[in-house]
Amino acid sequence: MASAFAAAFEILSFGAIIVLVVLGLGIIASMMGIFNFAQGEFVLLGAYITYLAYSHGMPVWVGMAAAPFLVGALGFVLEALIIRRFYAAPIVAMLGTYALGLIIRECVRGLIGGLYLSVPEPIGGSIDIGTSHLSAWRFTIIVVTLLVMLGCYLLLARTSFGLRVRATLENPALARASGISTSLIYGATFAFGAALAGLAGALVVPVFSLFADLGIRFLIQGFVAVMVGGVGSFIGPVAGAAVIGTLSAALPWVMAPVIADILVFVLAIVFIKFRPQGLLSGKGV
Amino acid sequence: MSASKQAIRIEPGERPTLSTADCGATSTAALPTATSRRILPIVEVAALLIAAVLPLVLQDYLTVFATRVIILALFALSFDLVWGYAGIMSFGQALFFGSAGYGVALLARDLDITAIYLVLPAGMLIGLVFSLLLGGFLLLGRYPSSVIFVALGTLTGSYAADRLARGWYYLGGQNGIPSIPAMSFGSYDFDEGPVFYYLTLGILLVVYLLCRFLVRSQFGLALAGLRENEQRIAFFGYKAQHLKAIVFAVGGAIAGLAGGLYAFHEGFVWPNMLGVVISTQVVLYVLFGGSGTLIGAVIGTVIIEGVSFWLSDNYRDIWPIILGVMLLLVILFRPLGLISFVVGERERVGSFGSGRRSRHAAP
Amino acid sequence: MLGDHLKLSRRRFLSNFAFASGAIATGMGSWVIRPDWANAAEAPIKVGIATDLTGPIAYAGNADANTAKMVVKEINDAGGLLGRPLELYIEDTASNESVAVGNVRKLIQRDKVDLVLGGITSSMRNAIKDPIVARGKTLYIYPQLYEGKECTPYLFCTGPTPAQQCDEFIPWLIKNGGKRFALPSANYVWPHTLNIYARKVIEDHGGEVIFEEYYPLDQVDFSATVNRVISNKVDVVFNTVIPPGVGPFFKQLYEAGFLKNGGRLACVYYDENTLNINQANEIEGLASCLDYFKALTKDDPVSAKIQAAYEKDYPGNFLFAAGSAATGTYRGLKLWEAAVKEAGKVDRESVAAALDHAKIAEGPGGPAEMVPGKRHCKMKMYTAVAKGGVYEVVAHSNGLVDPKEC
Repeated sequence: MASAFAAAFEILSFGAIIVLVVLGLGIIASMMGIFNFAQGEFVLLGAYITYLAYSHGMPVWVGMAAAPFLVGALGFVLEALIIRRFYAAPIVAMLGTYALGLIIRECVRGLIGGLYLSVPEPIGGSIDIGTSHLSAWRFTIIVVTLLVMLGCYLLLARTSFGLRVRATLENPALARASGISTSLIYGATFAFGAALAGLAGALVVPVFSLFADLGIRFLIQGFVAVMVGGVGSFIGPVAGAAVIGTLSAALPWVMAPVIADILVFVLAIVFIKFRPQGLLSGKGV
Repeated sequence: MSASKQAIRIEPGERPTLSTADCGATSTAALPTATSRRILPIVEVAALLIAAVLPLVLQDYLTVFATRVIILALFALSFDLVWGYAGIMSFGQALFFGSAGYGVALLARDLDITAIYLVLPAGMLIGLVFSLLLGGFLLLGRYPSSVIFVALGTLTGSYAADRLARGWYYLGGQNGIPSIPAMSFGSYDFDEGPVFYYLTLGILLVVYLLCRFLVRSQFGLALAGLRENEQRIAFFGYKAQHLKAIVFAVGGAIAGLAGGLYAFHEGFVWPNMLGVVISTQVVLYVLFGGSGTLIGAVIGTVIIEGVSFWLSDNYRDIWPIILGVMLLLVILFRPLGLISFVVGERERVGSFGSGRRSRHAAP
Repeated sequence: MLGDHLKLSRRRFLSNFAFASGAIATGMGSWVIRPDWANAAEAPIKVGIATDLTGPIAYAGNADANTAKMVVKEINDAGGLLGRPLELYIEDTASNESVAVGNVRKLIQRDKVDLVLGGITSSMRNAIKDPIVARGKTLYIYPQLYEGKECTPYLFCTGPTPAQQCDEFIPWLIKNGGKRFALPSANYVWPHTLNIYARKVIEDHGGEVIFEEYYPLDQVDFSATVNRVISNKVDVVFNTVIPPGVGPFFKQLYEAGFLKNGGRLACVYYDENTLNINQANEIEGLASCLDYFKALTKDDPVSAKIQAAYEKDYPGNFLFAAGSAATGTYRGLKLWEAAVKEAGKVDRESVAAALDHAKIAEGPGGPAEMVPGKRHCKMKMYTAVAKGGVYEVVAHSNGLVDPKEC
């Protein structure tokens, strides 16, 4: 029983990490129709900023709080300069963002000297529930993810800004005709997606340690999750992330990790083949 | 729609550009009359000449490097065929490259087979089989698959193969399979050096000519139509999905051939050969050189590998960043690749029926 | 055969001729280190180091490169070898076998080194040994602890073998930890082969292997494994998971209360460099068995001298430690130096013949001797336990331990 509880907790915490990363990816894919190959590198940047703050003597949580804002700002700038040229051609977008990701990744690699660096967690130790010991930090990640998701939902469903975002999502031409500055919305969306990735990186770096290829491992899982969940809405990618994250975390408990790893992807691709629109299709929140 | 019955003169080297707007207008005014010089063959012949004399001027060490570049160029060629000519964005070519590499490595390790006339066809066969399987699954079906799906499907395939090889101890796990003996022909061993170089150059030449023949044939005509407008070619009665699957399979076979050569040249195979990094690297080569021209793939490979090698001593940290920036600039401003600096768009796309003055109206 | 010999001498001739002009003209990168008195009439002896300067194993690779620089400088300051200066060429294997092979080729074919020393993980050794020994016909010294069974001619191993690391260590673990062992491992050749040997020793001394599992190198989520360890009441975790996974793994074990319940961690490559990966409390009581620990400097003047010299020239984060192959590098270079002095020549055959039975009286942790015909090295072994983030030596071997290889 305790083992099942511990398993559930681990699965949940792992799934939460994936959800954070995928949320940004999914928002960008749904909104602008492009797959941002640099999303993994935004995660890396979030992790790097956290490390940077820590290595300069500041408490870790300061870096973690700053990361989303800094990465979001960078995302906004990149969108204005580069990304918006890609909206017409999704394939070019993939390649262009890949090149961008390459630049960011190699810059970080140069800055950290190709090493693996560790960052301690701001809330360490474990929470003892009965005989199970749960990592306090992982628990924090779950809580933060839930808060972020709730915040996103409230922002989109209840604010006028959210209304404009949804309008742009459903019918860009009409939104423009109604006086909504779609380019600004796109910029804000990209920045938001980047910020989410930055937050994910910041939260995850105590668990995974900082290294230049940190982003790559999330990228593939992220794309698969978005496609499984369905592009075009906000809840779709989240659903996809939940499914992929849960599967990835749960399967190693019942089979060899290697097989589990591959099985998740194979199942996902087969699923997408037979249901191209994903789990939850349709536009909107 | 009242189609104009006016005769359309097609000059050699020109592509008939007839749109619905042209119907009714005097078509001769819509076509430039001057014939453009064919640049591509000049580029190709120049490249061949340079490649042929290279080992004579380079030291052994650089010849070995050049051989590796030629094998990678062969690999890039396979991607150009698939993307430049059929519009399939395959982010997982390394799957075929690496599986063939592993296949021939296993042949050499477990069955002691290193004869060139066995292992290279084996590599091609492995590449062909895997690409038929993957391509069949991704491309065929009741509904045509979206480009994004194919791109992600191939990417995932490459990633999954990488993880599988990394986890399977029979394949060496993380280690891969080291110490592959040299490829042999009878009692002669193909060691690294000028001999291997000319062997790979010869293979590249043959494959290149075959590809050129393929894309200039009727099949290639259908491919050009496929690339330009898939729906329209389907309406003509061509099974677009089958065409794509065939090209994908040919691309896979070529990638497999390159993989077999690579395994014997480097002497070891390891999981990264199957993985995402190599898959995307070949995309970059072709993107940089210019897709859809065959020689562009070769040039892109040579430039990127060559500059990377030259800079790796002194600027090994900065080089990947420079590469990324150059790539980004090419994608933004010169999406047709570097070859577009010398080769015009018209020639890049290809001309069919050139040399024959046709006086019939285009359908 | 004859052709081979001719090719070799033509290459040598060209390299000698090119030395004077080449050094400046080719503008070799900053990884070439030559002594100040390099304008001697004699051509230099070239030593190549191929190690992980970047990547997850960079903490060890940089330590090895530093050690090599230190030893070569020491030799050069004493007048060189056979009156000739030593020239050091360092290439990065980047924890990436494909890059490694390319860079090793540079050492062999472009720089034409007389010796290559390097490779840390077994997969790296396997990838580069062919270009060095078979295709490159150069001597190769592998300095790191490993799984044994490497009997390639002209490949000499100066790091500990399973026999040296397990024969006395595992009985100690059973006595000071418990009988129930778990073998969580990285999925590549070193853990696979080491575990076979370790299992035998464990079972011979009354222990029991509860489970043996293999994970991808980049796995960082070990919750299933940790759960298995706790629920099966494992006493000793004989770990062969390597970076980047080992940090998260130990942390997750700690968080699950493994150490609190009296469990013992054991990890044969864990040294002063890797101590920094985890917080001290997460690895309290971790036991390791290596050929050298910094704690030895209290009692052994030779070790103290070497450690002090290293720390003076290379203060910083890359420590002189045994699990990072730094001691193996030192040992390997000194043994090679002795062999070259004995042979009087630098060609591979003569040096290999001399290296076969080379001995050094002074090395980190004690003297070292090559076992004739086996290409492996006898050395003293020490068991140490991590207390408060620092190692304390708790046991040592009686004299030099036989590697029992080949």
